[in-house]
Amino acid sequence: MSVTPVPGSAAVVVVGGGVVGMSLAAFLADEGREVVLLDAGSPAGSTANAGSLHVQMQSRFLRMYPEQVPALESGLHLYPKAVAFWHELEASLEADFGMKMTGGLMVAETAEQLDFLRHKAERERKLGLDSHILERADLDCEAPYLGPAVIGAELCANEGKLNPLQANAALRAWAVRAGVSIHDRVKVTGISGAEGGFMVETDAGQIRAGQVVIAAAYGSRPLLEPLGLSLAIEAEPLHVNITEQAEPFIGHLVQHAERPITLKQFASGHVVIGGGWPATISNDRFHPSVELASIIGNATLAQHIVPAVSGLHIIRTWAGLNTPTDGKGILGPVEGYPGLFVALPGDAGYTLGPLSARLVAECMLGRDPGEDIAPFSVSRFRT
Amino acid sequence: MQSGKAGGERLPAGTASQASNTSSPSPDTGSGMRLTFEGESVAARPGESLASALTAAGKLHLRKTPKGTDRGVFCGMGVCRDCLVDIGERRNVRACMTKVEPGMEVRRAGTGGPPRAPKRDAGFRLIDEVTTDEPDVFVIGAGPAGLSAALAARQAGARVVLADERARPGGQFFKQASDGAPLDAQQEEGRALIDRVVGAGVELWPETLVWGGFGPLEFAVNRGGGTEIVKPRAAVYAAGAYERPWPVPGWTLPGVMTTGAAQTMWRSDKRLAGKRVLVAGNGPLNLQLAAELSAGGAKVVAVVETARKPRTIAKAAAMAFSAPGLVAQGLRYLATCMRAGIPLIYRSHVTKISENAEGLTAHISGAAERSFDADIVCLGYGFIASGELPRAMGARSARDPLSGQFVVSTGPDHETSVPGLFAVGDCTGLNGARVALAQGTLAGAAAAKKAGHAQASNADLIRASAALRRHQRFQRALWSLYAPTVTAAPATPETIVCRCEELALADVMAAYDQGYRTAGPIKQRTRMGMGPCQGRYCGVILNQLLHERGENVDEYGGFAPRHPAKPFTIGSLAADPAE
Repeated sequence: MSVTPVPGSAAVVVVGGGVVGMSLAAFLADEGREVVLLDAGSPAGSTANAGSLHVQMQSRFLRMYPEQVPALESGLHLYPKAVAFWHELEASLEADFGMKMTGGLMVAETAEQLDFLRHKAERERKLGLDSHILERADLDCEAPYLGPAVIGAELCANEGKLNPLQANAALRAWAVRAGVSIHDRVKVTGISGAEGGFMVETDAGQIRAGQVVIAAAYGSRPLLEPLGLSLAIEAEPLHVNITEQAEPFIGHLVQHAERPITLKQFASGHVVIGGGWPATISNDRFHPSVELASIIGNATLAQHIVPAVSGLHIIRTWAGLNTPTDGKGILGPVEGYPGLFVALPGDAGYTLGPLSARLVAECMLGRDPGEDIAPFSVSRFRT
Repeated sequence: MQSGKAGGERLPAGTASQASNTSSPSPDTGSGMRLTFEGESVAARPGESLASALTAAGKLHLRKTPKGTDRGVFCGMGVCRDCLVDIGERRNVRACMTKVEPGMEVRRAGTGGPPRAPKRDAGFRLIDEVTTDEPDVFVIGAGPAGLSAALAARQAGARVVLADERARPGGQFFKQASDGAPLDAQQEEGRALIDRVVGAGVELWPETLVWGGFGPLEFAVNRGGGTEIVKPRAAVYAAGAYERPWPVPGWTLPGVMTTGAAQTMWRSDKRLAGKRVLVAGNGPLNLQLAAELSAGGAKVVAVVETARKPRTIAKAAAMAFSAPGLVAQGLRYLATCMRAGIPLIYRSHVTKISENAEGLTAHISGAAERSFDADIVCLGYGFIASGELPRAMGARSARDPLSGQFVVSTGPDHETSVPGLFAVGDCTGLNGARVALAQGTLAGAAAAKKAGHAQASNADLIRASAALRRHQRFQRALWSLYAPTVTAAPATPETIVCRCEELALADVMAAYDQGYRTAGPIKQRTRMGMGPCQGRYCGVILNQLLHERGENVDEYGGFAPRHPAKPFTIGSLAADPAE
């Protein structure tokens, strides 16, 4: 298929068409802006998300990046709002994202782990989350599918799940309806200042733009580097398993207090198991591939905490690329370059995606986003 | 319809001796056993597959899909996962790959309610707790290619493990009989080769699924209910091929199966898939099946072939010169069919299959426009190479001019682009069993050498090289003789193109028209290829659809290779293989 040539100019160019870029483009087009969306993928975005809607602080994050916990906590209030915003979007678009707001359980196997969860729940409550501890007897009612190894859990009522395949398709359809000109398989190679705005260089030609927003996850780094902004972000390939369909038996989004796992059952009946086991970026095609160690560790951990999954067949595994930041999102204008914006959502970026997009879109439209986004400014990466 | 949707079964086809003269449920005396299907007692014979036993008892509807439609045995070789049943507490087990056991309680898959926890927690474990074996040479697939590769590697002094998913080695060509009694020369030949392989000291791992291939040469294996890792010094991949999909309305109905599936029931288990059988497709296997089923007592209502009636003397002569035995065999099948009065309809193909009160009606088009009633419709429209693991390991592939699909590319000594990984047989190009045998000998010797063993005897290799050239000539002539007049099934917009996700052609074309123009995005948009067959059938159909519309479908253009090559249970990851 021939790649459609990019237009010579646009009011707004959105770089990156994942959940953030696609939503951003649609918001702006809905407000009457002429928007061109460029993505190196096909169609836009890596769109390999697993669909968890995270709110409580993930134990994996706390363990791996203890120095970033203050940053994470400073942005924690956005997470319940982000999940609520997914809801609003589903309703306003009259779309079906397959959303379920069942709450999220983080399970403990030892008294020490449960203590850790107690402290975590207390801190989260102070930051506005609906988190509390369930003892084993409560779990027998609330989550009878949990195995005997589990002695208690933290329940965060703000959490849930959606089907990312449905949501991604609905977001793209929205963008198309709103009039966004979407260009897949176009790689942006550079952005420079030009009269009345910017010149966006791509492998399919140049585009003159009044405003540019970079929403390209790990791909944002090389675009911001020449502006003296050194984002210490790397793509992090993570493993996901999915089972065959089964009748519904797991309600919650399930995590573990000490080991990396997320486990949930889609409305379709498939059980998705992921949560931070590593994958590999294997070759020059930048194509992440799975590791045997992750399949074994991730799936056996799943059947240890939810024993009934042991009879389910794994039908597919894949790897998605996460973009860890320094613990919180990178949102808003780039100081010194009027008209240039950044939209990187931070940890659990899919959850934060549409809300982050809306906050940045409001700034670009010259409106008050309704949140103080100054703490999320990209300026903190200026060298 | 009366028999299908209401009762979920049809009159039993019975066994070889009963098929032609009775319509009552087969009592199956002698060495039989009994199992239950949906609570009803069903006769079975030791060693046969559950698919054979259920089909012979007229139980064709084995699974209910999440959308509520009925499915039954289709591929008969463990690929399509349409014959899933629940056996006791085990869910979604392939009937075609499961041996019967006395007292088995079998139910339709998809009807058993939410999954239940096992009695014992098998525990969380990490990869370094998993048993690892390190043979010199690991051969995957025990058909003609794998058997000859294993033998050659073993004869060169290598320690060889030969894994196959079936209970008995032999593959689709040498299909061995469950009662050990060969039907014919083809099975005799297979048994002799298997005896040599075992006698030479090759370690045979039956009922072994190799579901993962990771770099460098690390394989994940499921056997004996547990998981094992195999890290050989060299590997030979010989997974063969599976039948090309023929998406026409009704091709997912219970009772519609591949030619290979019906042939396995007959050759391995001496079970007739039905009393009245229509065989349709392209290539000599269909004629062989018709001759076999007819001799076994079934009424073959017709053989429908897309190719023209063979009349080219020059090609036949070329084939006879390359492989006189194979030509004589082909003529024998033809003679058997003609003696039995089976209509042989050339230049025609199946356009639609529907259910009627007693079974199925198949509509054909082409030189003849007519329909046939039958219990079973067999579709054999050529083959697709099984290249999943080499592809997942990064091996290059190339378009096979014959099938238009991608096959594993190999270089000298049949080594793939992944060092130490060899590939032979139909997974590298659809050249049949004779070519596979010769390639196996050459690759097995080369793999042993790669693993540090001396070269096998030169005489054997020279003989194998000569046989390879001769049979490649034969195969070229054969396929030009059988050149199909129609290459794509006449799917209608409502025709299911993704069997697992139950997607119609119109669903896929809607995504295409929305701008999703390549396989990966179409998969994400529609779920095409996300089901448990891993896109084996719909991937082929999609590649063809895109190709026809001028989209660039290169070797990376199809669905991205995903592990596992075939599904396995999570519980099996936590267990060691039982001895």
